[in-house]
Amino acid sequence: MRLKSNRGALLTALTFLLPVPLDLQAAGPPRNIIVATTTSTQDSGLLDVLVPLFEKKTGHVIKTISVGTGQALALAAKGEADVTLAHAPSLEKKYVAEGKLLNRRLVMYNDFIIVGPGADPAKVKAAKRSLEALKLIAGSGTRFVSRGDNSGTHNLEKSLWKQAGIEPKGAWYIESGQGMGATLGIANDRNGYTITDRATYLAFQKRLALVILLEGDKPLLNIYSVMEVNPANGPRINTAGGKAFADFMVAPQTQAVIKGFGVEKYGQPLFVPLAGKREGEIGG
Amino acid sequence: MAEALLALRQILVRYGGSTVLQVAALSVRPGEILAIIGPNGAGKSTLLRVMGLLERPTEGRVYFREQEIDHKDSLAVRRRMASVFQEPLLLNASVYENAALGLKLRGLNHRDVEQKVRPWLERLGVVHLAGRQARSLSGGEAQRTSLARAFALDPELLLLDEPFSALDPPTREELLLDLETILRETGITTVFVTHDRNEAFMLGDRVAVLIGGELLQVGAANDVFAQPVNQEVARFVRPPPPRPQRLT
Amino acid sequence: MGLIWDGIRQAFWLLITGDPEIWAITWLSLKISGSATLLSLLLGIPIGIFLALTQFPGRSITVALINTGMGLPPVVVGLFVSIFLWRSGPLGLLELLYTPTAMVIAQLVIAFPIVAGLTMAAFQTLNPNLSLQLLGIGASRAQLLWLLCKEARLPLLAAVMAGFGGVISEVGASMMVGGNIRGQTRVLTTATVLETGKGNFEIAIALGLILLILTFAVNFLLTHIQQREQLRWPKPS
Repeated sequence: MRLKSNRGALLTALTFLLPVPLDLQAAGPPRNIIVATTTSTQDSGLLDVLVPLFEKKTGHVIKTISVGTGQALALAAKGEADVTLAHAPSLEKKYVAEGKLLNRRLVMYNDFIIVGPGADPAKVKAAKRSLEALKLIAGSGTRFVSRGDNSGTHNLEKSLWKQAGIEPKGAWYIESGQGMGATLGIANDRNGYTITDRATYLAFQKRLALVILLEGDKPLLNIYSVMEVNPANGPRINTAGGKAFADFMVAPQTQAVIKGFGVEKYGQPLFVPLAGKREGEIGG
Repeated sequence: MAEALLALRQILVRYGGSTVLQVAALSVRPGEILAIIGPNGAGKSTLLRVMGLLERPTEGRVYFREQEIDHKDSLAVRRRMASVFQEPLLLNASVYENAALGLKLRGLNHRDVEQKVRPWLERLGVVHLAGRQARSLSGGEAQRTSLARAFALDPELLLLDEPFSALDPPTREELLLDLETILRETGITTVFVTHDRNEAFMLGDRVAVLIGGELLQVGAANDVFAQPVNQEVARFVRPPPPRPQRLT
Repeated sequence: MGLIWDGIRQAFWLLITGDPEIWAITWLSLKISGSATLLSLLLGIPIGIFLALTQFPGRSITVALINTGMGLPPVVVGLFVSIFLWRSGPLGLLELLYTPTAMVIAQLVIAFPIVAGLTMAAFQTLNPNLSLQLLGIGASRAQLLWLLCKEARLPLLAAVMAGFGGVISEVGASMMVGGNIRGQTRVLTTATVLETGKGNFEIAIALGLILLILTFAVNFLLTHIQQREQLRWPKPS
């Protein structure tokens, strides 16, 4: 029985499944900063630019946790993050009122737009406000594709329908249950309208025949804020780190980077810097 | 009196609440063939396992060549014995590799192993099967391989637990004869467990009768068969009355 | 179909041009799942053998637990491990959350019952008297264990492959305890989810294909070892 060669082969196979040098974090400095943010923020690619800038500048290591809005804010409220960047003002204000999140500062906004077929059967282009546009679409029974997945976008859409006093139902109203890209694809195929964030639309523009029919209306603005986590929320919160990141997000140099983000790729910026402004000042 | 090769004293084996084996004293003399007979469930296999240091008795002591064996350090002594069981229990390998296993475990090199294994494969009539995979063997061939494996070790004590019970009668008889020849020639001390009184009588110099976990009689084969010590033993060793003639 | 072809082309392009990020992600996947599998073997094989060959009070409950563990949903494992590793959790002071170590831990929890359960089944296919016979021709305890492993090598290697397959392919636990952080805890599965969500379908397909190739390569190697024994008829020297 050639025990040796079989053993050798098996060992080789097992060493292939190498043990990793497990990077147990040392308890001393520098500590990581856990940033809780949303998937759409991460997907825009902005953080892939900003985070390395911050890390290089300060020597801190950032751990960006991108999850659903609800989870991001809940994690911060539990103290499982050090700072949070989100875009759900009403929910954020609730946490601030409870004292869980501190020092809420506006960072930037991007916006949602209503897109639809070039022929524009519902004559949305004539409308100035989003609520008006939705009433026109519902009234004419033209196809509308919704996210239907309880995402930030979907919640925004739902609130708009509610404000317009319409309950969208019928063969014209389709819920895709999927991400923004897929939803745009469906709207494109079926010549329907949909609400989308600008960044995704720009990313998919080449493949779509849909055009922008309404933009700039205040309810369509997606406002991002940075908030620090109250050290009382839990143990081991990196308060200094969280503050450093928050300060960074509103710093003039960072705001300049935000202003230019996306121009090269899409021909227009994806975000509008907002640091220092107040909410009442935004939008038209 | 020559030293006993193996001796058991005050052996008690209990599983849970029941006593499975109770042997006050039993010795195996060098060069003898000791047959242990008894009905199924009598505790014969347990006795053999205790002898082979494969099972630790609940109480009692085992002596090998007058030295008491501590179960913990028993590997060296265990390696001076060899066991063969009712099933051949070969590994998924060739006949040769199986027969050579015991020697390989003891660290012998290829050449020494071959020198010892080949003759035994020949003697047991399976050398022509040396390259064959064990799983393709017949029952008799497999058991011959198992025996070759044990004999190749040149053990001081050979322990056989009903080695032929699972074989058909013609094969059994052949193997019995071969085994007898080999044992007579080599003079290896052997303990042989069987429930077949004919085998015991044929092979055994001495016979021990184990019934219900107790050693009821030990003595020369002739004595035990001619003069069973009590009713129970008698029933076991005496041949049955002739069967009534069948009406044609 | 065109999408899949695009994905295949993209996959080869990424691999051939040695896109450093893809290689880093691939290597990290291999390291994390490899370590978790190795650890699960070190823990699971001895325990599986022990369960197969011994009797003890409470054995049936233990076996039932292991068998249940084989079907643990990875995302649930991820949830519970993260609760433990949260700052507010009992192991929070180790600051392991969102690190590769946390992912190894979670994957170990997933793989261990698979390895233990399948090892136990593998050894239960062996003749119960085989151990006795091997001891009876002079095997030491260690030699006995080695010989039994050799005898059960087919189902044993299947256990290894099942353990590895279970963790290299899982995404729920990796997502939860790793956080899919670029350059730190992003692995093939979590990266695939990310790219799909962003609508980068070609890249997602490419990543998926790389994962398949990786898994295939490892399993091919192990299968080769597993099956090779069957065919060999060694010549008696």
